[in-house]
Amino acid sequence: MYLNYLANVGRYIPELLLVVLMVGLILIEATYSNDEKNKKYIFIATCIGLVATLAALIANFSAKGEAIFSNSMIIDPFSTVMKMIMVIGTFGAFYLSSFSKDIYESLKTEFIILAVGVLIGGMILASANNMLMIYLGIETLSILSYVMASLKKNDERSSEAGLKYALYGGVSSGIALFGLSHMFGVLGTIQFAGMAEMITKLDKAQIMILMPSFILFFVGIGYKIASVPFHMWAPDVYEGSPTPVTTFFAVVPKLAGISALVRVTMIFFTVQSPLRVGWIGLMMVMAALTMTVGNVSAINQKSVKRMLAYSSISHAGIMMAGLVLINQIGVRAVVFYGITYVFMTLVAFYITSIVQDKYGNDHFDRFQGLAYRYPFMAVMMTVTMFSLIGLPPLAGFVAKWNIINALLSSRYYSLAIILVLNSAVSAFYYLKIVRLMTLKTQESNETIEGFGFLNQLVVVALTAPVFVLGIFWESVMGLAEGAKIFIK
Amino acid sequence: MHGLDLLSWILWMPIIGVLGVLLMPKENTTAMKTWALINTIITFALTLVLYAKFDTTVSGMQQAFNVKVPWIPQFHIYYALGVDGISLPMILLTSLLFMLCILSSWTQIKKSIKAYFALLLLLQSTVFGVFMSMDFFLFYVYWEVMLIPMFFLIGVWGGENREYAAVKFFLYTFVGSLLMLVGIVALYFVTGQTDGSFDILALSGGKFTTQTLTMFGQTLSFSKLFFIFMFIGFAVKVPVFPFHTWLPHAHVQAPTAISVILAGVLLKMGTYGFLRIAFPIFPDSAKYFATAIAWLGLINVVYGALCAMAQTDVKKLIAYSSVSHMGFVMLGLAAMTVQGMNGAVLQMFNHGTSTAMMFFMIGIIYERSHHRWIVKPDGSRGYGGLYTALPMYSIIFIIGMFASMGLPGMSGFISEALIFLGIYQRFSTITVLALFGLLIGAAYLLWMFKRMFFGEVNPEVKEYSDMTKLEVLYMAPLCIAVILFGIWPSPILNMMKASVGQLVSLLATF
Repeated sequence: MYLNYLANVGRYIPELLLVVLMVGLILIEATYSNDEKNKKYIFIATCIGLVATLAALIANFSAKGEAIFSNSMIIDPFSTVMKMIMVIGTFGAFYLSSFSKDIYESLKTEFIILAVGVLIGGMILASANNMLMIYLGIETLSILSYVMASLKKNDERSSEAGLKYALYGGVSSGIALFGLSHMFGVLGTIQFAGMAEMITKLDKAQIMILMPSFILFFVGIGYKIASVPFHMWAPDVYEGSPTPVTTFFAVVPKLAGISALVRVTMIFFTVQSPLRVGWIGLMMVMAALTMTVGNVSAINQKSVKRMLAYSSISHAGIMMAGLVLINQIGVRAVVFYGITYVFMTLVAFYITSIVQDKYGNDHFDRFQGLAYRYPFMAVMMTVTMFSLIGLPPLAGFVAKWNIINALLSSRYYSLAIILVLNSAVSAFYYLKIVRLMTLKTQESNETIEGFGFLNQLVVVALTAPVFVLGIFWESVMGLAEGAKIFIK
Repeated sequence: MHGLDLLSWILWMPIIGVLGVLLMPKENTTAMKTWALINTIITFALTLVLYAKFDTTVSGMQQAFNVKVPWIPQFHIYYALGVDGISLPMILLTSLLFMLCILSSWTQIKKSIKAYFALLLLLQSTVFGVFMSMDFFLFYVYWEVMLIPMFFLIGVWGGENREYAAVKFFLYTFVGSLLMLVGIVALYFVTGQTDGSFDILALSGGKFTTQTLTMFGQTLSFSKLFFIFMFIGFAVKVPVFPFHTWLPHAHVQAPTAISVILAGVLLKMGTYGFLRIAFPIFPDSAKYFATAIAWLGLINVVYGALCAMAQTDVKKLIAYSSVSHMGFVMLGLAAMTVQGMNGAVLQMFNHGTSTAMMFFMIGIIYERSHHRWIVKPDGSRGYGGLYTALPMYSIIFIIGMFASMGLPGMSGFISEALIFLGIYQRFSTITVLALFGLLIGAAYLLWMFKRMFFGEVNPEVKEYSDMTKLEVLYMAPLCIAVILFGIWPSPILNMMKASVGQLVSLLATF
């Protein structure tokens, strides 16, 4: 038994590395009082830690799926890919934090320590194979996020964001927990596999009892991925939090939530039952609503961060549309979407953050005439915006195309049409930034310090996948294809 | 040169041009312009080679030129190019007009020259892509990518209200093509995700007449629904009433060369879409909706002409005349007879040359006057007596105007006559009503001409200089084209005859 546990540890190295990293960072922070030195070591340690985690994940990817720790966690290609995306997102947010002025210098170490903690929570969520682990994952993720949101201690809006996040989060995870306990009450086990097996044996009346508990469970996850109608917190939190934190929130908790949702969907609803029909209906309505509300609300925003918050809501909606299928084609589309989403989000937030650092706010006007001062950066932002709209030959198009492809493969015409019409709506507000950057004449000649050579290089490196994945997407599609879900 | 390479060379040559422009230093504008010009001349020469090697007796795709390379094998997506009698006139028109546009932009573009020429060449490549793609996915990619350079070309180098025009153009076209995208993917699955599922040729032939689908709880005919979707996608481009409202804005705001490209080539992409995609893939629905298409075409003809009559801005007038003339193309398509279809394709080519002339001429006079009012908003004459002051300009303008009007002996006449011959066999009422469109067309053009060119010489007009050598140089090929193809249209008709005949016989079986 114990030996079994030890053998399992081999598959659990990425998470352990992160734990070590987190502890190490706390120690470094406590050891060096000198700020400069402190910063330098923290930076190096984080880089090493995250790269090592990524390497461990890559090593894990090729191995076949396995349930570890008495079946409480599953390490399969799907969870590994999702974890890789999350690590890349964390790395992006971390590098952004290293030069962002939105976080106080003294708090930068705190930021990364908390971020690693949230990342661990996200990884647990992506691997969770029983109800308890899901709940643990959600809570690890959430509690640290609340702190991160209010990282700007003296800032009123940041504190407001933290409080709002905590209040909404507390309520929704309570509701989810109620749902989970209800499921346990009906099915008598917390193991996913066991529950799925039990469900097939239930009669209709029992399934009717079970249905509300899944809806309650969805509240908890829906809150994490900011699905409508549990999205109200997102714009305020995104706007109020420091920009690196916002970047982090837009990637890690969202994708962690999506991966948990994918797993739950794939485990419980593959068998034909009224439960499946109900879940598909729920997902369809939620996906359509999330896309539409996110897009429509984004149109009239004045703050770019807030606009990106709403846009990320709508992107979550599109990913949810891929869940309606409950088959591997849908999962593949969602994974591919996740990969492209990370890069597009990072570029958009990097440039927004740098512009915001210069002017102290992130109103749309601040982008005016950027193309004349920093043509290269404006091109990158333009490419990202066009990709977010879904124009070929960029990654965003291929991602959306895959989702539409998946939807139509199972003849969900109505949802596909809602999705494309939403793209058209989104074009409206993404074009606003492009328009301001390129079509307006230049407002001033000021240099933006953030666009140093190194940062420009990083932005270009982050945009490169947006280009490449639009044309040569077969290999990444293969990766997404390989992201099979292992059920035990 | 092996045939396989030729289409790819034509398609990628402008991209080589883009790279060259991007690598040149910003200050050296002459080098950039020269490079762009040389590049377009080479492209034009390559298309002439294509024309020389083209076998006019073969209908359908010419085997000698086909290119088919796997792009994303997993989804059966190919980089597939081909050319037939319908696309060849369009390819020739594209390479000709872009070459002339580089010349016209030589002195007219004054800001961000580097970006302008790079985007213009990029646009050329995407337009070629649309006319050559034989893979539906590839077609869609080019169709959409085209929006990006157009958005900037209108938005950055346009007139006063350019932003509004650029965004409107982008959104209209984007919405239309998104519906087409659903159609493309739906076709992919209906045909069983096999090797030919994105192949435009393999999809054609009316294979979807009996399919149905369920959407929002309703059972609908697959063919009819997606015909409507694709119709909207292409109709926005043409533009067919009521999707035409972006066009006057885009035209008026765009710089001269871009107006020329827009009217000369991009509008044809819409009608080309009908000929290549919507009609062959859903012939049954095309037949079913023929009457509706004909009526829409009629509305285009008459309504566009009436709108043109009311304009006081000469560029807007020509923009609405495009709406009217593209209506004739729609009428020819709706006829689905040999004469009608041939007339439609010929009209696509002829309208490309004649309307390009008109826009060039307006650009030339705008360079001198910096306004385009026939009647200024305060009621005074914008021009007047141009005929006395600028003889050379007036002669070329007259040629363009008569070609546009469809005067016998000019290119527009042949195509419109063919269209009327074709449509009369099926819709006699519409034919009679459409003839009024011709009448109004003559009226607004002549009235415009009278107000601008005759009468007392406006004091301002006296200061204008006549056309420069460069301007005459780039107008000359178009003058030759409109007169030559008015007297001797057979080179173009021979090109398209076999391919159009094939399409007509396909439609006749439904």
